[in-house]
Amino acid sequence: MSSVEQARAVALDVIGLTVNGEPYQLPVEPQWTLQYVLADKLGLTGTKEFCAEGACGACSVILDGRAVLSCMALAIECDGGVIETVEGIARANHPLIDAYVKYSCMQCGFCTPGFIVTAKALLDRNPDPTLDEIKEAMVGNLCRCGTYPAHLRAITEAAKVLRGVVEADSAKTPAPTLVNSAIGARAAGMAAGGTEGGE
Amino acid sequence: MSDRKKMKVDQTEQMLESFDNKIADPHQLAEYNVIGKRVLRTDGLEKATGSARYTIDIQLPGMLHARLLTSPYPHASIKSMDTSAAERLPGVRCVLRYDDPELQVGVATGGHELNAELPLPSAVHFEGEECGAFVVADTEAIAEDALKLIKVEWDQRPFVLDEVAAIEPGAPISEPRKFPDSNISTIYNEVHGDVEKGFAEADKVVEFKWSFGYNTWVGPERPCGVWRWNGDFAECWVKQQRPHIAKRAISTWFGGIPMSKIDLHCPYQGASFGGWSQMSWNLGGTYLAAVASKRTGRPVKWAFNRREDFYGGNMDSGTFYVKVGFKLDGTITAVSQRGITVNQDLPVFGIVAHLIENTKIPHVAGRTEAARVNKGPTVPTRCEMNINCYTVDLVFNHVADALGMDPVEIALLNDGAEGHDIDWLNGKKAEIGFPVRDSLRECVTAGKAAIGWDEKRHAPGTKKLPNGKMHGLAFTWTHEWDDSAGSSEIAIQFERNDGSVTIMSCRADVGVNAETAYCQIAADELGVPFEWVRFKHQEDTGFFAMTPDTSTNLSINGWAVKHAARILKQRLLEEAVAPRAKTQLAEYPPAFPGLEPDDLDVKDGFIYEKADPSHKMSIADFVGPSGAQGPITGTAGEPFFTSTEEGLAYPLRGTPPLFESGWHLQRGCYLGVRLRFCRQAYFMEVEVDTETGHVDIQKVVTVNDVGKVINWDGCEGQAYGGAIMAIGRGMTEEIVWDPRTGVMLNGNLLNYKIPTMMDYGDIETIMVETQMGYGPYGSIGIGEDVATVLPALIGPAVQNAIGVWIDDFPITPARVLKALGKA
Repeated sequence: MSSVEQARAVALDVIGLTVNGEPYQLPVEPQWTLQYVLADKLGLTGTKEFCAEGACGACSVILDGRAVLSCMALAIECDGGVIETVEGIARANHPLIDAYVKYSCMQCGFCTPGFIVTAKALLDRNPDPTLDEIKEAMVGNLCRCGTYPAHLRAITEAAKVLRGVVEADSAKTPAPTLVNSAIGARAAGMAAGGTEGGE
Repeated sequence: MSDRKKMKVDQTEQMLESFDNKIADPHQLAEYNVIGKRVLRTDGLEKATGSARYTIDIQLPGMLHARLLTSPYPHASIKSMDTSAAERLPGVRCVLRYDDPELQVGVATGGHELNAELPLPSAVHFEGEECGAFVVADTEAIAEDALKLIKVEWDQRPFVLDEVAAIEPGAPISEPRKFPDSNISTIYNEVHGDVEKGFAEADKVVEFKWSFGYNTWVGPERPCGVWRWNGDFAECWVKQQRPHIAKRAISTWFGGIPMSKIDLHCPYQGASFGGWSQMSWNLGGTYLAAVASKRTGRPVKWAFNRREDFYGGNMDSGTFYVKVGFKLDGTITAVSQRGITVNQDLPVFGIVAHLIENTKIPHVAGRTEAARVNKGPTVPTRCEMNINCYTVDLVFNHVADALGMDPVEIALLNDGAEGHDIDWLNGKKAEIGFPVRDSLRECVTAGKAAIGWDEKRHAPGTKKLPNGKMHGLAFTWTHEWDDSAGSSEIAIQFERNDGSVTIMSCRADVGVNAETAYCQIAADELGVPFEWVRFKHQEDTGFFAMTPDTSTNLSINGWAVKHAARILKQRLLEEAVAPRAKTQLAEYPPAFPGLEPDDLDVKDGFIYEKADPSHKMSIADFVGPSGAQGPITGTAGEPFFTSTEEGLAYPLRGTPPLFESGWHLQRGCYLGVRLRFCRQAYFMEVEVDTETGHVDIQKVVTVNDVGKVINWDGCEGQAYGGAIMAIGRGMTEEIVWDPRTGVMLNGNLLNYKIPTMMDYGDIETIMVETQMGYGPYGSIGIGEDVATVLPALIGPAVQNAIGVWIDDFPITPARVLKALGKA
């Protein structure tokens, strides 16, 4: 074993993490980020690296109840932490998942899990957020495809489902409307596929 | 002629109908079940749950990780390189060097066509260019550490960054190997009419200069690739919008790999907006991974880091000089424009094309001088039509401002095509079977109402709001360009057991939700529930669909899906009335004896007799199970059946595979090929803080004549998503280089600002459906439009607010303050 390999071996430390309810004992190198451990070591590839420097939110996970950027967290510092990733949120059938599908909140989809994690953390602490509160919570999540307006609708609806204001089943049906999307067709005197309305 | 042969003829005829299709779609459906309705996107759950896999996510047993050395200088070559320390670093398994005997020949490494690039060059022409060494290690971090241990002696050369300076006499030659004599790689002239005559006819002439900074795509997934050798089979995962071009290039490697021995996977794409996939050398890393994989016997993944993705940029950056002549009533008589573009390899798209294709302006001239500078390669990003769209926007708004007229009226007055007016264009619509609709008028009518145009419009610099900011309102327009050249192959089949439908064709999913639209088309054409249909696009099945660029998702692939589905449905009906399998023991009668195919139809997954809809059979029953598909002979020689269906005297077995293919070949909508009839219009409302120079986008209205909406979420997503991207491109996004060192200064998401959820105002997306598109059902693609047209509108909107033109994009607070004389 070379000196550097020895150094790496010496540096390995075992940490304990609870990820999506499952306990893990993981040997980690001190420079490994939490994102690297989740995606590369545990195969939870929903935790995505986009900017790799804390600027985009794609790697968001919930650590001890708080949304954190896992690309900026060293795994070794998370010893004993309780972590929730998008996979755990999906497995728990959180209404955000259905709402995100219904409102087509994704295009390329690379950033989508990070949005869902941040939104979950928001709804955990604020079950009835205003649009401004949603924007404020989500402003650190970047989407290059520009899907932002859809997230506002989805998060609002998921919050309603969680509060019992609307039924989960009705949330699953395809969205009938978006803002004024049929105006042109109507103005042209044609039957449009969608109906007008919106929120 | 047999039925089978008839079907083949039909397929060719269908293709011919739509090749250069100067006719409206002759095969409209009587009833749309899911087309034009809102359906759940087919990839939604996968992407929402984090289970969607991208190339960067691929992990294979024993996989190694590779990184490329990059140049710290904008123009240099390697004199010598010492990789010994890197090779000694534990965990490093292989280092490929530029002087490796196997890497001395150019190989096809991507781009639009097969090229021959050195996979690991020793000379560089921009800071950050990949060169010299490819380090393969157990982890990406070790490979990165190893790069730092490489010692290079560089031969630095003079460089030039500014495109205008680059074409001055005596400027340093930026890329002497390719362009030894000059920094102008191409000059492209567009001439329509006689501009001097047009200027002589004008009452007034306006001249202005504008510029467009270097912006980039910022694809969330880093460029990357994975290679594994399985014996003599090659297996690779590509982040590529164009997997078919990638496979073609790969098949030329190593003396030739048979196409049949290449297993190509094209997982979900973390978006590239054209960008990286259009670039030559985009497969360079994959080639090197293949070499390293052969040497190490292990799979190899290579990847750029985030900064490295920033080096490539939009091909439409440049400096432009415009002259416009017009009558006092707003009729434009002539436009000429000279453009100096940055590293543009594809100047064929022109800079005044939209004025020719889209207006009655009789005299138009453009001259593109493609300058080469020591910045990264530029390629179409979202679309290559930025300059054309900026030109339309600035020409019409400058004319309106000079005349004090409403720019909407100027647009309507000059609408037309190729120098002809709208009446001529309307005649053409009628000739080829389209509805005669005034697309632009419909678009502006809807858009004006949505933004409150007539109530809110005011003279430039005259409306101060109670919050102290200046209010601005602006409008722009163009036609729906939808280049739509290319070919598409689609395979489609009914699955055994349940009759569900699989569409197969390898195609990159970049997120525009076209796959859902294809499933909608197939479902309605076949008469099956939408939920039965899946587009399997990530695997190489030998069929390749057109790439998700040039707005061709619907106008090419949509046709191919439609053709394939129509042929498959015809085949289903023919088989339904034909005798079924014949064995030595028995011949089985038709499922619908005594009827002709035309007597039948399909709805909700049932084949039924039109005259008696209660006489029906599910497609699942008709296709039968997989596995035992015929009678099994018992020990006594008598046949017995694994099941029998109620009411039928014979078992439902013995149908042939119900698999068909469709294809489509199209030359596109370029000038001289097809006139374009659909228009798009955009309105923007801003507030400008004259103390800080900050521009707040209050409202954007996008109006797109999409011909016919197939998928609402897809259309709207492209519209509002494009609007948000446009706000970034028009206001904040520009790559900055240090003029002293030629080093990129903001290649990261902290310093290159793309829009966040708080950076846009209300966005209203309006779809107009005139059915005047050349795509199936009169549709047309809009994926490139909004993000390409809308950034330029910020200029006129700010001018309307502060009364001063800013024609240099992006329109940053610093530029606003400078225009106001405050900086």
